[in-house]
Amino acid sequence: MNWKNVKLILLREIRDQLRDRRTLFMVAILPLLLYPAMGIGMVSMMTIFSEQSRTVVVLGTEHLPEQPKLLRGDRFVRNWFRITTDASKLHVVTDLAPKTSNAQNADTNADIKQRSAILKSARAIRKQVEARDALEQKLDTIRERWQFEHKERTKDEWRALAKRMKPTETRLETVNEELGKLFSSSDIQVLIIVPDEFGANIEALTLRLSKRDSEAANEIEYQRLTIVQNSADEKSMIAYRPIHEAIDEWETKILEERLISAKLPASMTRPVNQHRVDLAKSDQLAANLWSKLFPTLLVIMAVTGAFYPAVDLAAGEKERGTMETLLICPATRAEIVLGKFFTVMLFSFSTALLNLGSMGFTGKYMASIGGAGTLSKLGDLSFPPLQSLMWVIILLIPLAALFSALCLSLATFARSSKEGQYYLTPLLMVTMGLTVFCLSPGVEIRPFYSVMPVVGPALLLKELLASPGSTKALIYAIPVLITSVGYSLLALWWAIDQFNREDVLFREAERFDPGLWIRHLLRDKESTPSFAEAGFCFGLIMFMQFGAMRFFKEAFDRGLGMDKILLIQQLVIIATPALLMGLILTTNFRRTLRLYLPSWRMLGVAALLPCMLHPLTLEMMAVLQKWFFLPLPESMTKQLATMANPDRPLWMVLLVFAAAPALCEEIAFRGFILSGFSRSKRVWLAVGLSALTFGIMHMIPQQVFYASLLGLVIGLIAVRSNSLLPCILFHFVFNSLDVMRRRFGDSLVVDGTRDWLFTLEEGGLRFQWGALTICALVAIVLLRWLINHSANPTTAVTRLTDHATDRTADVLPGATEKPSVGAH
Amino acid sequence: MIHVENLTKSFADLRRGSVPALDGVSFDVYPGEIFGLLGPNGAGKTTCLRILSTVLKPTSGIATVAGYEASTHPAEVRARIGFMSGNTGIYDRMTAWEMVEYFGRLYGIEEKALQARLHDIFTTLQMHDIKDTLGSKMSTGMKQKVSIARTIVHDPPVLIFDEPTSGLDVLVARAVLKAIEALRDEGKCIIFSTHIMREVEKLCDRIAIIHHGRILAAGTVPELETVYDEPDMEELFFDLISRHDAALAAAAESA
Repeated sequence: MNWKNVKLILLREIRDQLRDRRTLFMVAILPLLLYPAMGIGMVSMMTIFSEQSRTVVVLGTEHLPEQPKLLRGDRFVRNWFRITTDASKLHVVTDLAPKTSNAQNADTNADIKQRSAILKSARAIRKQVEARDALEQKLDTIRERWQFEHKERTKDEWRALAKRMKPTETRLETVNEELGKLFSSSDIQVLIIVPDEFGANIEALTLRLSKRDSEAANEIEYQRLTIVQNSADEKSMIAYRPIHEAIDEWETKILEERLISAKLPASMTRPVNQHRVDLAKSDQLAANLWSKLFPTLLVIMAVTGAFYPAVDLAAGEKERGTMETLLICPATRAEIVLGKFFTVMLFSFSTALLNLGSMGFTGKYMASIGGAGTLSKLGDLSFPPLQSLMWVIILLIPLAALFSALCLSLATFARSSKEGQYYLTPLLMVTMGLTVFCLSPGVEIRPFYSVMPVVGPALLLKELLASPGSTKALIYAIPVLITSVGYSLLALWWAIDQFNREDVLFREAERFDPGLWIRHLLRDKESTPSFAEAGFCFGLIMFMQFGAMRFFKEAFDRGLGMDKILLIQQLVIIATPALLMGLILTTNFRRTLRLYLPSWRMLGVAALLPCMLHPLTLEMMAVLQKWFFLPLPESMTKQLATMANPDRPLWMVLLVFAAAPALCEEIAFRGFILSGFSRSKRVWLAVGLSALTFGIMHMIPQQVFYASLLGLVIGLIAVRSNSLLPCILFHFVFNSLDVMRRRFGDSLVVDGTRDWLFTLEEGGLRFQWGALTICALVAIVLLRWLINHSANPTTAVTRLTDHATDRTADVLPGATEKPSVGAH
Repeated sequence: MIHVENLTKSFADLRRGSVPALDGVSFDVYPGEIFGLLGPNGAGKTTCLRILSTVLKPTSGIATVAGYEASTHPAEVRARIGFMSGNTGIYDRMTAWEMVEYFGRLYGIEEKALQARLHDIFTTLQMHDIKDTLGSKMSTGMKQKVSIARTIVHDPPVLIFDEPTSGLDVLVARAVLKAIEALRDEGKCIIFSTHIMREVEKLCDRIAIIHHGRILAAGTVPELETVYDEPDMEELFFDLISRHDAALAAAAESA
């Protein structure tokens, strides 16, 4: 790796991008201009919106109580409102005769006309409201009387009731519709209807209470104050809310005065009177906001900032015809990719920072000039402390690296810039999905989440911004950073791999013809499946598993036993696709599924190794379950219980939990899929990928983890023995051991003498250090034998060709290879 | 300096299955000569030259350039060749000087020597007036000159040209050919693909006629004319091609 070349390429690409005025504009200038412009736009729109005055009509104003006063002239009394400026925005039209004397009330003719029009519509609305109330009352009376008359309801009686209510209901509907139309066509946002003698009634009751006479306990029936509004209409809703609060305050005051005049304590209505102690500091509230906002924005900005330069540097280079010029220079493909990668990463990083900075400053400025009104609710939006900002920058690096590498791979894959841009949408959707998950309340950084690709850094950042300087989050920083770097390296490796493939670099635009493609698939069949076919098989299995979930749930609810369901799942979803694809798409079914006989020694190893690995796996998972994994889902625990259930016949349990999975999963994963992945000529890649797919198929994180690890071992067996049989044997033995342990485990611990081997604990039989050490030693010996073993010439040839393509061997043809067959 | 033995390259095509672009091609090129690879479109010239420049990997066979095998020591090969084709473009946003300088640096030429070399090349090719012109603003002839400058900046012993005069007018094409001739006189090993007879007659010391991935005939121009008893290169070329096609058709029919 010549870093000088990487640096040369990097500097050239940067200079090239900077000379592109359009790129420069989009990356640097646009964020600096766009956010302030948007901010100004938003602020002016909000001020326009909030400055508009709302019309409130009060009918029956003369019946309002004298004290305390609700209205003053054409405004509400300001004291009832929490935010006093709200009162000035509500324009009240009352039906009081206007005082003609003073100059303030001198309205123009137009005003007078408008006022009378509004009052006219208000009165019409009132009439309709009264009609509606009457009809609803009628319906209520019918219902009450009917319930009183008919204690037991038959279907016929229900129908009779419905029939009786129908005409009134229809009329009610008409009235409601009229009402809605009237209201929306008037200019009224809220209509307050004060019933007749309202104030007088209130005062009467207050007087009676103060006198404490025998009638005091009797209620004085009077109509309630009616407020008509439309909560679906934004204007009406915005006007209603402060009015509702104000009238509540006004009511409280009336009640206070009533209590005082009745010589009752003011606390009568509030015996509990809860006192809230809020520990939130203002900067904590702001921090909460930043902790949700920043990770999302960071992820989005990093993706989009990486994407367009990546497309330009890879697909664009192909289009402009300079790709081949670059490929014939001394720099290796890896050096070229690295140079481009660092360029893209730089742009991703800068775009994210510039956008965030611009947005932050604009937001803070907007909040500071917001003053009263909606923006003031944000409080004093202080910037996050310097420490948090530092973390933003630090965590941006792995995010930018990951996205840059991914975008570069995708862009290399694309034939043209246009095609490259189409890949942005799915990438953005996936990252958005992950980010939204991170934002959900209650999702916080945990050991399990900290090792996931985008989720880890996002959650860590969320935690660090919400509580700056918390040591809890800092502990997670190490695994997050390490795994993020790991993922970026993986993505980068993929990008370099893409760049090494002729069919990717020199891909011609071809017209996609499904018929042709199918014919090609069937005509150009090869002996073993291709890499893509293996991947497709895995995808198909996952897809079917996902789709069948609903059917299984229904079947389970209907009583079909869990074991039958599991059997069906194994046979239909896992084995069948692999078998069918093997038959249709390959010419050598036997070779694809490795249906050869292994040596006896191999079978012996395949039978003994799982016995050694089983205790080790068990104990390892117990440790990890405690501090790493989330608890098992319920369905899983139910399944495990079925296994241990002594009522079910042993052969049945073994069939469902050991034999069927062993057979079906091996056919699929070490048969078809491993053969497909082996086409890449890199043995470790094939075994690793087949193990990974095998793990993922299990879906539950705990199982994914240990299934992947075991998959590596079984894959190794498959490759070294070139036979499926030992794999099936291993899988069967391993699963059977688990079943046996759950069923008969307790019978092993007879007395305390074998405590150094196994003990009985809550979850069943557990293994102690003695047993574990023995198992580990034997397992190591067996694994070493496996790694060094090669059963037959086929395997040896595979290894030789691996060496030839991997190493830069001797120049002259005919040079002897180092012998690789046999033990080292 | 170039040794090609039984070179084969197959591509997977959706329509036709596996297509052999090169089918057992063998030839040698020595220093101080221009070797012409003559053939119609789709004959396999570009594929062969791309394999020699390490951009593609052969399916089977050996390609040795300047003492190193292209598939196992690609980096060493690339350091010793200069490659120019219709697909090696120049960067739009770099000036001529910057472009050649960039590649000079990639070839590892030390800075002072590089500047001197650039000066020399720009003088020889009469490029001083376009020294600071951006790629996007250059005419085709200027772009060709920059490509040539880039190709020879590191003074490689082997030069590979894939239809270097395609799309060029007479004057520019002539200048290019003159430059190639001068390079041959310096002792470079040059391989050169074309389908224009005049170039073949004027420039090439030896030629090979290639069609459908196979070499139909090879040798010097006078040799070929004697063997096939045909003084006109063009006629000779067409004869060979049509004879080959006829043989193919006959074989297909009888099969």
